[in-house]
Amino acid sequence: MKDLKHLIYFEDLLQEANNELIGQAQKEGMKCIGYMCENVPEPLLNLPGCFSSRLRAPRTGSIDVGTYYLTSFLCEYSRAILERALEGGYNFLDGVITPDGCTMLNRCVENMDVLQAMGKDKKGFFFDYMEIPMKADYNGLNLYVLQCKNHILKPLAENYGIDTSDAAIRKAVDQHNKVCELIRAIGDFRKLDVPTITGYEYSVFCLASYVAPKHLIIDKLEETLEELKTRKPDAKPWFKARVEVVGSEVDDTDFIKLVEESGAFVCCDRFCYGSLPGRDPIYLNDEEDALTQLCGAYMYRGECPRYMDTVTMDGRRSYVDELAKEYKADGIIYQQMKFCDPWAYERMMGSHILRNRYDWPVLAVDRPYTIGSSGQMRTRVQAFLESIDIKKIQKEG
Amino acid sequence: MAVRKFKTMVNPEKIKGDTRYGDLYIPHGKVRKRREWRGVGDTFYDYTRWLGIMLTLGKFMAKPRNIKFFFRYRWMANYLAVPMMVDRFTQGLRGEYLRMAHEEQDLIIIDVAKLLNTLARGDRRTGNDEEFSKINVLVDENEMTAVMMGFPNLKCTSRETPSTYVSVLLNQHAMEHYIDVAQEYGLPGDVCPMPEAEAGVSIDDDAPILGACAVQCNTTCDGSLLGNGVISERLEKEDGIPVFQLPAPLRHKEDDVQEYAAEEVRRAIKFIEEHTGHKWDWDYYFECAKRVNFATKCRNEWLDMNKTDYPQIFGGNLALYTETTYMAICGKVPEFETADKRLMKLAEKAYKKRKMAAPEYRHRAIVWGVQSHYYMDFLVWLLNCWGIVPLTDMLSCINTEMIADTDTPENREQAYYDMAMLTEEMIMRNRTHGGYKVLLDDLFEFVEEFNADMIILWEHITCKALDGMHGLFEDKARERGIPLIWVDHQLFDPRVISRQGVRDQVNQYMRTVMQEEPLDPSLEFLDDENAW
Repeated sequence: MKDLKHLIYFEDLLQEANNELIGQAQKEGMKCIGYMCENVPEPLLNLPGCFSSRLRAPRTGSIDVGTYYLTSFLCEYSRAILERALEGGYNFLDGVITPDGCTMLNRCVENMDVLQAMGKDKKGFFFDYMEIPMKADYNGLNLYVLQCKNHILKPLAENYGIDTSDAAIRKAVDQHNKVCELIRAIGDFRKLDVPTITGYEYSVFCLASYVAPKHLIIDKLEETLEELKTRKPDAKPWFKARVEVVGSEVDDTDFIKLVEESGAFVCCDRFCYGSLPGRDPIYLNDEEDALTQLCGAYMYRGECPRYMDTVTMDGRRSYVDELAKEYKADGIIYQQMKFCDPWAYERMMGSHILRNRYDWPVLAVDRPYTIGSSGQMRTRVQAFLESIDIKKIQKEG
Repeated sequence: MAVRKFKTMVNPEKIKGDTRYGDLYIPHGKVRKRREWRGVGDTFYDYTRWLGIMLTLGKFMAKPRNIKFFFRYRWMANYLAVPMMVDRFTQGLRGEYLRMAHEEQDLIIIDVAKLLNTLARGDRRTGNDEEFSKINVLVDENEMTAVMMGFPNLKCTSRETPSTYVSVLLNQHAMEHYIDVAQEYGLPGDVCPMPEAEAGVSIDDDAPILGACAVQCNTTCDGSLLGNGVISERLEKEDGIPVFQLPAPLRHKEDDVQEYAAEEVRRAIKFIEEHTGHKWDWDYYFECAKRVNFATKCRNEWLDMNKTDYPQIFGGNLALYTETTYMAICGKVPEFETADKRLMKLAEKAYKKRKMAAPEYRHRAIVWGVQSHYYMDFLVWLLNCWGIVPLTDMLSCINTEMIADTDTPENREQAYYDMAMLTEEMIMRNRTHGGYKVLLDDLFEFVEEFNADMIILWEHITCKALDGMHGLFEDKARERGIPLIWVDHQLFDPRVISRQGVRDQVNQYMRTVMQEEPLDPSLEFLDDENAW
């Protein structure tokens, strides 16, 4: 297929945590708030006057200092982020908000806080921590709303004078929805029998929408969407099978590339930093306050394994099944970052349930934070694709 | 900064009987050569208590359904090692210390035997007493049972306590099979082996099936929270036992999570009422609350005593008992109040006589982190081998506040918050969650309060909450000039780090950094890889 016009531009944005658009937005007088977990309602960090950047550690090399502070048993994501923070790689931030979503990310930020890794000389800089509900229900919603008020809206208003009114939240949600609708529309081309976008290309656009100021990428996303409408697919599909990738945090587009180079097409992305459900638009009504609706949207669609009630646990697995059907997947890859406790359990249960109850071919793998050149992973994926092929032949026979 | 050092205290009283405890071990053996000689009086006392333990075990096995239970569940074989566990915990103890240890441990053994009896009676595979099964509410082993304080006629039953938690105390290798089962099913080997083993028991279908309903809690960590999902999958979908998930907030020191926590407690109680038909009884609740407060008062006084030169209830005596009384008992069993009173009397008596538990006290240590369950008697070893007094451990540094214990309309409302507080501040999670201050800053405050000159830091290698503070612990100890000994272990799995592997870390530090010789050299290297 012909190259997409803005792909290289978006790829470049992902080369550094402090991408060029962050500097541009800060020059406009906006404050940059860092976060690391999907449980932080993103629109609240994108109120007029501020913008969010979900932290990554692209091109990670040594993580020795991060390992000294966190040991080698914490996930490489948390270690790489701490390492980068101690190196000064996040000095552009004006604040960090983290939920006590998983222990490792919480500890990572606490280390930054105690070691004063950033913000020492920045007026108004803050670290704040949130409690996130563990069940999706009315009590959880009350907690969510209160936590967002106390640990997001309050520091933003007090430290930077950000408008946190209902109207401001609605405006931020509108902007959020604009980006989400574009990303999802771009992603819909993955549903085609002969798709006009690859999983890798899509992951680049989607990931960029988490790390760059939203108002500065909308025009390029719109152009990309238009371009895709007329993009000609290759005469013959380039892949052997369509797979849904499910699981823990993936902010390394090379992982998706590796899966696709092994002969698969990543038709669906159900992981943290992915678009399902992370890029679902949030439609607000006029009756209820915006904050409660926003928190409700995040809580009820939450796919994080920390939600411990049976209904949500079952829902996580049925959602994977529904997506696989919707995106016409042939199999499911359950991936988990090594040392991630929540996804270790969810991967085990999810892969068994999807295989036995929903009858999907499933590959369950763990992986390091950055994996672009792993021969081991390539072999696992190739073997999985072969097994899908064999199953297809057996079914047909 | 100069390194802090406590002045060595020498025991004016000679320790009667054996003093080279390592000589009692048989290389590669499960049991020891002989019982410890403690002088005539103490040996006789210890022997009578040993007979008492055998009687408890004998009574349990006298029931046919319990024999069936014994052979149905693989983990039951570990209970053959009960007397040996008590021997390990009482190693080197004499006089009041020995009596305090037996007072606690014998009661715990009776309580666990009652629990096993309950499980055998209600279990669909053995006793199958359906009516009896209906009065049981299942809880997790590591769970605070405060929500059961108002149900006098219901049994708060933990299947994980005897199958995993106690089993590994009895036999260090007890959980290896279940850990392997979980890993064969697809769980990686880098998660905490406690919830991993519990999940393994469930996957292996080796947990008794009984109960009207179950209340699960996110207890200590991400692993515990997620491990519950494995167990509830079988409980709800196969066994038909409804489950309530009780989430306890992680940032438990914050005011803005308390209403959420209290509401979850209200809902848990309502759930139990609905599924058992039993009503919450406020009289019973406040009766239990009084006992909770009495236990808290005693523990506070014991800890105060440990701040002086003559600590009394410390080490293994403090750790194991606290874990039992604080969470599993939580005021519901009057016998533990009686035991508290006896313990207090013994401790005061020993304190007045300025008694010491070892020939020398060379170091006063705060033991921090999560202790190894396959080597819980390590605290006794520290004292006997190196003269390190484990003044308190992290798991004993729990709630020190009194809860409302008189029945008034205001206190009935307050009670939900008290139960929520107790649940949020369960053992371990009160330190491993709630922000870094409760884990990091509080440690160094305890060092000052207890006049300690050493930190023994258990590093349970797959406990992410503790690992996540590793570098900061080191930095702070270095800043303050406090020797900090890392003791790595893998909680339930001695194949990763053996008991000798645990000891070696202390031996090497004491010899190379502290340049000291052991108090009892026979304990420095023990061939106890197979020992119960």
